[in-house]
Amino acid sequence: MKIERYSVLLCILITSIISKAQNSEPDNLKWSSLQGFEYEIYAAVNIGGSAPIPVPAEIRHIDGYNPNLNLQIGTTVTKWFTPSRRWGVAIGLRFEEKGMKTRATVKNYGMEIAMDGSSVSGNWTGKVRTVYHSKQIAFPVTANFRINKRWKVNFGPYVALALNNDFNGEVHDGYLREGGPTGNKVTFEGDAYATYDFSNDIRLFQWGLQAGGSWLALNHLVINANLTWGLNDIFNSSFNTVTFNLYPIYLNFGFGYVF
Amino acid sequence: MASFKWTLFLLISLFLNSCISKEPLNAECDITEAFLPGVDLTREPIITNDKVTFIVKSGTNVRNMSPEFELTPGAEINPPSGTALDFSSPQRYVVTSEDRQQHKVYTVAVQAGNTVNLNYDFENVRLVSKSSYSYDVFYEISANGSEIFSWASGNAGFALTGLGKTPETFPTYQGENGVTGKCAVMETHTTGAFGKIGKKPMAAGSIFIGKFDVTNALSRPLQATQFGMPFFNEPKILEGYFKYTPGPVYYQADGGDLIEVPDKKDACSIQAVFFEVTPGMEMLDGSNLASEDNPNIIATARLITEEPTEEWTKFSIPFVIRSGKYIDKDKLREGGYSITIVCSSSVDGDYFSGAIGSKLQIDEMSLVCDDVENQ
Repeated sequence: MKIERYSVLLCILITSIISKAQNSEPDNLKWSSLQGFEYEIYAAVNIGGSAPIPVPAEIRHIDGYNPNLNLQIGTTVTKWFTPSRRWGVAIGLRFEEKGMKTRATVKNYGMEIAMDGSSVSGNWTGKVRTVYHSKQIAFPVTANFRINKRWKVNFGPYVALALNNDFNGEVHDGYLREGGPTGNKVTFEGDAYATYDFSNDIRLFQWGLQAGGSWLALNHLVINANLTWGLNDIFNSSFNTVTFNLYPIYLNFGFGYVF
Repeated sequence: MASFKWTLFLLISLFLNSCISKEPLNAECDITEAFLPGVDLTREPIITNDKVTFIVKSGTNVRNMSPEFELTPGAEINPPSGTALDFSSPQRYVVTSEDRQQHKVYTVAVQAGNTVNLNYDFENVRLVSKSSYSYDVFYEISANGSEIFSWASGNAGFALTGLGKTPETFPTYQGENGVTGKCAVMETHTTGAFGKIGKKPMAAGSIFIGKFDVTNALSRPLQATQFGMPFFNEPKILEGYFKYTPGPVYYQADGGDLIEVPDKKDACSIQAVFFEVTPGMEMLDGSNLASEDNPNIIATARLITEEPTEEWTKFSIPFVIRSGKYIDKDKLREGGYSITIVCSSSVDGDYFSGAIGSKLQIDEMSLVCDDVENQ
C-alpha cells in the first residue's frame, strides 16, 4: 500500500535526523543550534472526530461515540529568530491517523446504500453506525512563541493529504424512502441492515489550522498538546449524499524529543 | 486512566447532544389511513405509496363520495379530506409535506363489484421509471380501455438490489413472442451483495393478484406478498399457456448464502387460490398461501412442474374444493370471497430457494367461472 511506503519513508527520515543529531556530526547540530534551528521528533494520540458544525437537524441523537486510538508521529524544524529567540517559524511533517466510530439516530438523512457496483439512494430515518478512519500526511507551518524557558505555543495552517480512507457503516432499525422522501418506504427491522461506503468520496487534499502548546518537562523531553481544526469538508465537493459538511477536529496529546 | 477515558467520552457525547438542533419538519407526505364515512366497504382500504383503493359493494353509488384521510403529521391534502367528489373515475389528490418541500400525487379509486377480470393476455405494461432503473408492471384493461387492476410482482423489492437496470434485467417483465402478441416472463435472479447481507440471496420472477408491500420486503418478506382481490364468481378452471426452463443448479438459501442441492430440480408454480375473507384475514400472504390447513381457503387450482417445455403448452387446472368447504352464494354476492392467481419461476422462491435462471413464460391465461354476471 502507498500509505505504508510513505510511513516507512517518514521513519527513515526521522531516524536519519536522530542519527545525524546524536552520533555522526555533533558539531553540525551545534552549528544548527547557533543558527537558531531546533529539531524535534514527536509522537501523539489523536482524539476527535469529523463533526458537522453546526450539528444538522437530520441528526436527532448521538447514541455513541468512540474516538479510537489514532496515532501520530512527526518531526518539526523550528527556526528561532535571534537574538531574543522568542519568535520562530516551524515547518513539520507528520504521519497521522484520524478516525472515530459513531452511532446516531437520524431523521430524513441523505443515504446511499452500497451494492455490487451499484447503489440505492434515498432518505434514511433510523439508526446509523459510522466508522471513519483516514491515514494522512500533514505539513504544518506554524508561528512559534516562546513564553519562557519551559513553555512555547504555536499557531498556523496545515495542509494534509488523505492517502488511505475508510468512511463506511451500516443503517438499521429504521426505514429508507427510496430516491427521496416521497419514494417507496422500505423498513429495516430486526437483523435487517444495509451497508454504505463513502470511502472513495473522501477529499484527498485537506487543510486547516492548528494551535497548541509545549512544555519542556526535562532537558530534551517536551509534552505537547495541539488542536487541529480542518477547514474543508472531508468529502469531495461533488459528493452530495451527505448533505452537510464534516470537518475533522482533533485534539492530540503526546511527547517529543528536542535535540 | 480508563475512568478518565470514559469520562471524556461521556463529556463529548453530552457536548455533542447539547448541539442537537430543533427537530426538522416532516419531509414525508403519506396517506396513512383512509376512510369512506357512511359507505359499506367490502375490504379495508388498500393504501400503497401512490394509490388508495376503496372496494365497495356492487351497486353502490360512487358519484358523490367524501373520503377522509389521515396523513403524515403536518402534511396537507388537496382536495381537502372530506371533499365530495365523483368517483366514477379515479380522482387525483396531492399531499404536501409539513416542510412544504415535498409533494406526492395519489390516485384514489372506488371500485364496486368485481375488481379483477377473467382473461389475461399480458399485452399492457406500465413502466415504473426511476433515475437508475425501470421495470414493467402488467395491468388489465376493460372493454372501454380503463384499467381494471395491476398485477403485483416483486420487482419493487428487486430494485433495492441495484442489479436491475432495464425491464429485462428485472425478474418480471413483458416478453416478445407470446402465443399471441406479448407475454409475461418470470426469471429467477440472484440478489447480489444486498441480498446476501439481507439474507435474501435470490428473487424468483412472479406475478400475482394482490399487492407487493415493499415496506416489508426486507424485514418480513413473507408478509410483503399480499394475495387476493374481491371476487364475485365461482371459479372452475384456471387455464392458459406456459413455457418453462428450469435453471441448471438448485440452490437452497442458508442465511445470505446459496447452498447447492445436488440432484434437485427447480419447478415453476401456477396456482389460484379462492378464499373466504374474515376479519383479520382479508388477504393471504407468503406464510399461508400454500397452507393445507388454513380455514379460509375454499378452493385451489395448482400446477407445479419441473418439466422443461420449449413450446407453448396449454394448461387447464380445475379448482378443487377442499373437503368440508363450499361456496355460499349469498356471501359470494356480498363480496365475502377473494381470489388470487400466483405464477412463479421457482416454487420455493418465497423462501429464496430455486435455480438461478429458471424461466417461466405465461400467456393467454383465463379464469373459467360459473355464473358470470359482472363481466
